[in-house]
Amino acid sequence: MPREVELSNNERDFILGALRQGLRLDGRGQDVYRELEISFGEEYGVVDVRLGKTRIVARISCEVVAPYPDRKFDGVFVISTEFSPMASPAFEVGRQNQDEIILSRILEKAIRRSSALDTESLCIIAGSKCFSLRADIHVLDHDGNLIDTACAGLVTALQHFKRPDVEVQGEKVTIFTAREREPVPLSMLHHPLCVTFSYYDGGQIALLDATFAEEQVREGEIIVTMNRNGEVCQIAKYGGVAVDALAILSWTNMALVKVQAMTKVIQARLKEDAERRDKDGIAAELRADNDRPSERPHG
Amino acid sequence: MPISILPPAPAPSISYGADPSDSDDDFDLDGDIDMEGTSRGLKRPRTSQRHIVTPGELVTDDTQWMRGHGAYHPPDSTAIHSSVFGTILKTNKLLSIIPLRARYTPEIGDLVIGRIIEVQQRRWKVEVAAPLLASLPLSGINLPGGALRRRTAVDELNIRNFFTEGDLLVAEVQSVYESGQATLHTRSTKYGKLRNGFFMSVSGAGGGGLARKGGIARSRRQVFTLSTGRGGGDIDVILGVNGFIWIAKHVKPKMEEGPNRLEESVSMDVYSSQNNDIGVETRREIARVAGVIRALVEGGRRVDEEMVVKAYEVSLEMEEGMDVEGGDFLGGEKGRRVVEAVMSG
Amino acid sequence: MPLDTSSYSLALLRLDGRRWNELRRIHAQISTQAAVDGSSYLEMGNTKIICTVTGPAEGRRVGGGGSGGEATIQVEISVAGFSGVDRKKSGRGDRRIFELSYTIEQAVQTTLHTQNYSGSTISINLHVLTQDGSLLAALINAATLALIDAGVPMSDYLCACTAGSTTNTASSKGAPRPQAALPGLSSLDEEADDPLLDLNGLEEQELPFLTVGTLGASEKVVVCIMETRVQATRLEEMLAVGVDGCKRVRSIMDSVVRDHGKRMVDEG
Repeated sequence: MPREVELSNNERDFILGALRQGLRLDGRGQDVYRELEISFGEEYGVVDVRLGKTRIVARISCEVVAPYPDRKFDGVFVISTEFSPMASPAFEVGRQNQDEIILSRILEKAIRRSSALDTESLCIIAGSKCFSLRADIHVLDHDGNLIDTACAGLVTALQHFKRPDVEVQGEKVTIFTAREREPVPLSMLHHPLCVTFSYYDGGQIALLDATFAEEQVREGEIIVTMNRNGEVCQIAKYGGVAVDALAILSWTNMALVKVQAMTKVIQARLKEDAERRDKDGIAAELRADNDRPSERPHG
Repeated sequence: MPISILPPAPAPSISYGADPSDSDDDFDLDGDIDMEGTSRGLKRPRTSQRHIVTPGELVTDDTQWMRGHGAYHPPDSTAIHSSVFGTILKTNKLLSIIPLRARYTPEIGDLVIGRIIEVQQRRWKVEVAAPLLASLPLSGINLPGGALRRRTAVDELNIRNFFTEGDLLVAEVQSVYESGQATLHTRSTKYGKLRNGFFMSVSGAGGGGLARKGGIARSRRQVFTLSTGRGGGDIDVILGVNGFIWIAKHVKPKMEEGPNRLEESVSMDVYSSQNNDIGVETRREIARVAGVIRALVEGGRRVDEEMVVKAYEVSLEMEEGMDVEGGDFLGGEKGRRVVEAVMSG
Repeated sequence: MPLDTSSYSLALLRLDGRRWNELRRIHAQISTQAAVDGSSYLEMGNTKIICTVTGPAEGRRVGGGGSGGEATIQVEISVAGFSGVDRKKSGRGDRRIFELSYTIEQAVQTTLHTQNYSGSTISINLHVLTQDGSLLAALINAATLALIDAGVPMSDYLCACTAGSTTNTASSKGAPRPQAALPGLSSLDEEADDPLLDLNGLEEQELPFLTVGTLGASEKVVVCIMETRVQATRLEEMLAVGVDGCKRVRSIMDSVVRDHGKRMVDEG
């Protein structure tokens, strides 16, 4: 199994020494994120997110299936992650590594368990038909902070995605293609984002958005997921060196500021993209919630 | 033949549940908690062997003491805290904590029993219940045929003729590396391959002689011969310091007469994997010795020559005193009675 | 079915008759298994765990040798099929179980002093017999006791418990909260929001809660896992109650270990 190149002892000392003097290798402040770059694909729900050299692609797709018998009123929502070998030689196809399982668990808890997506809105006919939503997260390049990037990508993709419109008449379901009717955006209850703190010296130094090298020398990490309303959706501190309980509290406060800033960036980019697609202002006219006169439209 | 159904032996009375201090009823819900000395700074370390310290407990904050095994300094502090569960041992100004139970840590000169796990080019890897496998170099055994003969390439090729995977052997720890890995040797007729008997092991053998109970203690004689009654003949008992025990029929070493002494006339027989003929009586007595040792361990007693011999005699007496069904099995109630008799007698 | 907490504010007693700051009964034994290096049995209420520790021993080499002169720690959790309310066959590759074992592995790694055991493996096997809430906390406590019994050096007890919060408007499904809500502005029914210590299975399903693991009686948090949505302002008291609970758990575990030690020294 190819292994990730480990840092030499001197490199470790160098990075740690610099951190103790308040310096990071790329000149950022301790609480500064790299620039979040988001670009969208042609289709709805395809998002390419970069944070420095870390890059992930998220894609949402959906199909109509029968719901699980024990949850008749809910649609199906699956998150799948894949670490591509092109991101790092340590990633192998088909074999799940530890980081991958942790990433998918965090996304699961951050988005699914916190019910960010209203799965009831994916139901078409209770007990027989519903939408099955699948989110694929591909890691294309890895330079630290995969979790924050993946979470931002997933949340953006969910907001960007539009599912086909449906019409139910009794037992008969009609699913309209994008040509027939403008697709419908998903109903999201809130927009959670992850903020990972990497800490050093027993919590004395806490870094946001650590690079891969910084992640390798850290003593521990704590992943906080919040939405802009100040709700904590998930906290995960899996072991690592012990830190003060008060530090955790102050970090959640800091996380909120970052989440609000990130949400702003994401919303701005989504708006830009919506405007680009909506050149002639036709979308407003095609919206599903407009009245649909049975006769020919005016015109 | 009438069928008799024996009543089940009463369950061993472990008094954990009955201990009043286990229950949390007497817990003060709103008050602060007595940390049993952890928050108190002790000027002088307690020396009583009965005093138990637990991990994280402050042993002393007096700077005159040096930190030994089982103790640590928390970052930016000179106080000594315990890192294991055990008793305090003071050697001059050195403070160490001897764990009540731990895995075996090899020390030079220990007599151990091991099992061959792996055969390599010119050494064997031996499992001795230590954190790392011990190694037995080819140069650490007596090669057959003549006095201190040089080992040759042929010996390397035939390495499996001496010991192969799964063999048990008794050896002495020759040296211990910094990593804790032990090197063994069998350069004495006392040591070598184990045959004609029965293996058993006791866990938690490490931790040193003073505080540890219910295990094998390092003592003057680890190997002794027991002459048994009932036509069982002599039985060898080897108590490995690492918690492994070998009980076997005593076989007189073949003294090859000659100008050379014993040591030099190691024949290939030493490495034979064939058992000798063992009579039923001998086998029964071997089993009894094993039962006696097991009862001692279950009773939390020391296992050494004195205790084993005494317990064996008690069990024989008991056997003769009453003619019970159930054969020679020394478990449960019966085992406990043996141990009690030994302790009182 | 939402948990009926209506009577709580009147009697200040929970479903199982406890007060808000009351732990469930903790019963523990150590040295329960003779064949392994260390073992423990732990009950926290109706959550029951058996733990065995083997090692440090030279194990199968996992992925290219030891890392930086420390012992490798392997954690294996097996959940009995009959442990929950409905009989479930838990698959080998259950991610939730993996996450639990990963947490224990990471937490134990920093607590143990394994510098002297480079190249060896300490394997911790945990068997869940019944689960009724606070599973992760019980697993951590059981592992700590078994490691102490195995004589592995550690800085202090690693003890854990859960803490929750009674009103759960934040996690109620349905209507999203107004987006304009200011950060730090907690819900209106502030007076009803009370922290709870050591949640049982029913409470865990309905209330937001977190699992805290601390290093001994210090207020240093090693493990902190929260999986439910809650207002950030509630976090402070939940953490405070959790950390306080850990101190109590430590003193209970310490008395178990001491009693056992006393028995060992007195006998023989």
